[in-house]
Order: sequence, then structure tokens, then C-alpha cells
Amino acid sequence: MVESSATASTTAEPAPSRTRRWVALHGYNVRICHWINVIAGGYLLLSGIHIFLDFPELYWGHTGYQGYPAIFRLSDWGLSWDEAGELGNRMWGRNYHFTFAWVFLINGVIYAVWSAWTGHFRARLWPAREDLRASALSGELREHLRWSSPARTAATRYGTLQKLSYSFMVFVFVPLMLLTGLAQAPAFAAAWPWLLDLFGGRQTARTLHTIGTVVFVLFVVVHVLEVLLSGAVNRIRAMVTGRFRLPEEAQ
Amino acid sequence: MSERRAGITRRRMLVSVPALGGLLVTGCSDTFRPPVVRSGLIGAADVLTMSTSRWLQADQPLAREYGREHIAPEFPTWGQTNPDDERYQQHVSEQFRHWALPVGGLVEQPRSFSLADIKALPVRTQITAHVCEQGWSAIAEWTGAPLSLLLEEAGGVKPEARYVVFHAVDGWYESIDMFEVVHPQTILAYGLNGEELPVGNGAPLRLRVERQCGYKNIKFIQSIEVVDSLAGIRRGTGGLSSDFGFHWFGGV
Repeated sequence: MVESSATASTTAEPAPSRTRRWVALHGYNVRICHWINVIAGGYLLLSGIHIFLDFPELYWGHTGYQGYPAIFRLSDWGLSWDEAGELGNRMWGRNYHFTFAWVFLINGVIYAVWSAWTGHFRARLWPAREDLRASALSGELREHLRWSSPARTAATRYGTLQKLSYSFMVFVFVPLMLLTGLAQAPAFAAAWPWLLDLFGGRQTARTLHTIGTVVFVLFVVVHVLEVLLSGAVNRIRAMVTGRFRLPEEAQ
Repeated sequence: MSERRAGITRRRMLVSVPALGGLLVTGCSDTFRPPVVRSGLIGAADVLTMSTSRWLQADQPLAREYGREHIAPEFPTWGQTNPDDERYQQHVSEQFRHWALPVGGLVEQPRSFSLADIKALPVRTQITAHVCEQGWSAIAEWTGAPLSLLLEEAGGVKPEARYVVFHAVDGWYESIDMFEVVHPQTILAYGLNGEELPVGNGAPLRLRVERQCGYKNIKFIQSIEVVDSLAGIRRGTGGLSSDFGFHWFGGV
């Protein structure tokens, strides 16, 4: 039987019948862009950590160098600056970071143009106004904290919290990471001096870029955890083949 | 931005160094592509990065110049801070009085410049951020002679000139293309924060190329060579840092 609960928006729809056990869940574009993102995001994260560890200190404003008042120093946490630097050749980090920044950017532009064109953003990613009411959000949060539930394993639409987090990543996080990254580059800062004014200095941009890295890691951890809790095989298969198998209890 | 003595505008520079101006047209692909394009995705990304940067810099913008209040209390010294070279140490002890900078290759009149000759050229002073590729940055006031005016003193560059190569005392070398050469902030600095350039920062002469990372700003310059190809020089990538695997274009 179809689950009928307060969290109607996360329940499978339209009501499936016994003859329709599979539904098309993700378009080919979402799937291709998703997996390219996994590769590009993975390289960006690892190479970014690599670059950071070559100078594991953070500053605020225009200036920051060893000896200048820092807001974070890895050495204050027991890891020596030299040990961090010995993790590898920093050219590896720089080369791969900028290479996969381009892969990520081109992939992202294709995804954004396609999603705006087909109405994917509006239909799938943008939360409905009534879903943003406090009562609806708290109801969904309560349902969510039940960890694994039939509503979750059968959901064929994104929940409101999920929509909000994806929208945040697409429309806020990615543009900010791009801009804080470009603000650190002398060539781009010369062409677009407003980048330095926007963030209040190159070192502030670098610090925000690093905080953004932590946000990215948290997003990935929660995202993977959610996939594991809502039927990992079915979910990953749907992101590969596009087809999602409706669980028994939802049929 | 403060310019003592002669005002140097880009227009005036292009007019006064016709060979350089002409190169902006004829050597167009140099502006958008590194001299050696690496293989694979990394090489494709290099070209995208450099061409995007140069496209955005089409009107030759100046790098941000800061107020005096932003000058770092102690400008860091990094990498080579005192070359272990007998002749260099001799020059240091003589305050570089007998030091000379040969400028050769594809210039009309190859010649040598004493430090006094270089200081006699129109002076440019700029307070800019030195941006290390590692992530640190520090603001300082640099005083020096515009590279384009020095080349003009050597008769100007020949039409086939494409890159300017800098050789340093410690064996380091680096090169920039004509797009950076004609830029008003590209100077050969002999002064730091109103003092003589200290040994730790590359005395007597270092390059300031303000729209690229620190590693392009080569210290301890001992000769300058204008070339049409970087292929025959050392490993042929145009610099020791790019020989090691860094991107030749240090804009990011």
C-alpha cells in the first residue's frame, strides 16, 4: 500500500501500481554531471588540502605571512609546518587544483544552463513556498530524524531540506568558492580588483575558501550518509542508470 | 601609484618602443598560450587559465596598488636568500659598485648596465602585494626601472623578439612574454620600502611582475636575454620553476 503520512512531499508519486515497479528518476544530464562532479570535487578537495598544507596558516585582510598575526596555525595544534609540507610536492596540488577547477566549472555551466532551460531547477530543486513553512519544515525534520524510514527509501522527489541544501550548494556555495578562489590569483585580481574589495583582502578570501572546504566535506559526509540510509544500492543505481526501483512497501 | 620624474603611460611606452608594440599584434598567440603546452588535461587547463587571464587583461590593468599603511612590517625573505657565489659575495662587499648587467640577445644594441645606469632611468615606485603561490602575501613598496625603458636603452627589441629571459646568480632563470614586458608595473626593482634592495630579497636587482605569483619575480638577476624561442635554454620550458613542473604562466 502507498504510505500516506504527513510528509506527503517525500512519498512516492504518482501512486505506483503493481505493474509499474520502476520509475525514471534522474535524467542523463543530471547523472553525467553528478559523476563528473564526484571526480572533479574529489580532486579539488585533495589537491586543495595539499595546497593548504604547504602553508597551513590562515589570516584575515590583505596580508598574511609567517610571523604576521594569524587567526589559525596548524603548528598551534601540534602539527609542525615542516611535517605538513613534507606530505608531497606542492606542484601536484596546484596543477590538479586548477585543472579540475576548469572541469568543475565547465561541467557546472553545462548543468546550470541545461537545468535552467529544462526547468529542472524550478521543478526539482526549488522548494515550494508551502513547504518552507515552519510547521512543514519541523515535520520533515522529525520524519528525517527517524533515520531509515519507508518514506525515505521510497522518495522519488527531493525533500525540502534536501532541496534547500542542494540549492545552497549550487547557488551560494559554488559561486562563493569560485570567487574566493579567483580573488587569490594575482592575474584575476588585477583584472577584477573588486574581487579584493568584495572579500576585504586576499588573505580573507583564502580563509573563506578554506572554511568553504570544511563546508564541502560536511556536505559530502551528510550526502553519502543520506544515500546509505535511504537504500544505497537503489539510490546509486538510480544515479547510474536513471531508473529507480520502488520498494515493496511502497507498491 | 606614484611615478617620479617621467610619467610612463602605456601609450607612450608602446609609441616609444615600436618593436614591442608591434609584437602585441604579431605575437598574438604568445599572449594566450604558454611557450610549452604540457600534455593532457593539465596542459588544456593551462591554456584556458592563461588565455582567460589575458583576455580579461586586454586593456592591461594595473595590479592593485596600496596605501603606505598596508606595507608589511617585515617583508619576508624566501627561497634563496644569500647565494653562495664568490663573485656575488665580492659584489656585495663592494656595494655592487663594479656589478654590471649584460642585456643581450634580440636587442638592437646589446650592452651592459651598471647599477648607476639603471638608477638613472626614469623611476617607478609601486606599493603592491607579493603573492606567493604557497598562499602567503605581503605588501611592500618597490622602486625600480621599467623593464621596457631598459630595453629601449639597449636600442629596443628586434621584431622577432618574443620573450625576455632573466638569469640569476644562483642558476635560477625565469622568462616573461612581451605582454608583461610592456606593462608599466613590470620593473627591475633595486629598492624595497625606501631602502636599497636587501640581499635577502634579491640584491641588487629583482624582477617585479605584479600580475603573476612570487616565483616569477626572480631575484639576484645577473643577465637579461631577449629571445624568439625558449627551446634552446636549459630544459626549454622558460624557467626553473616550470622546469620543475610549475605552470609557466604564474597568474594563478
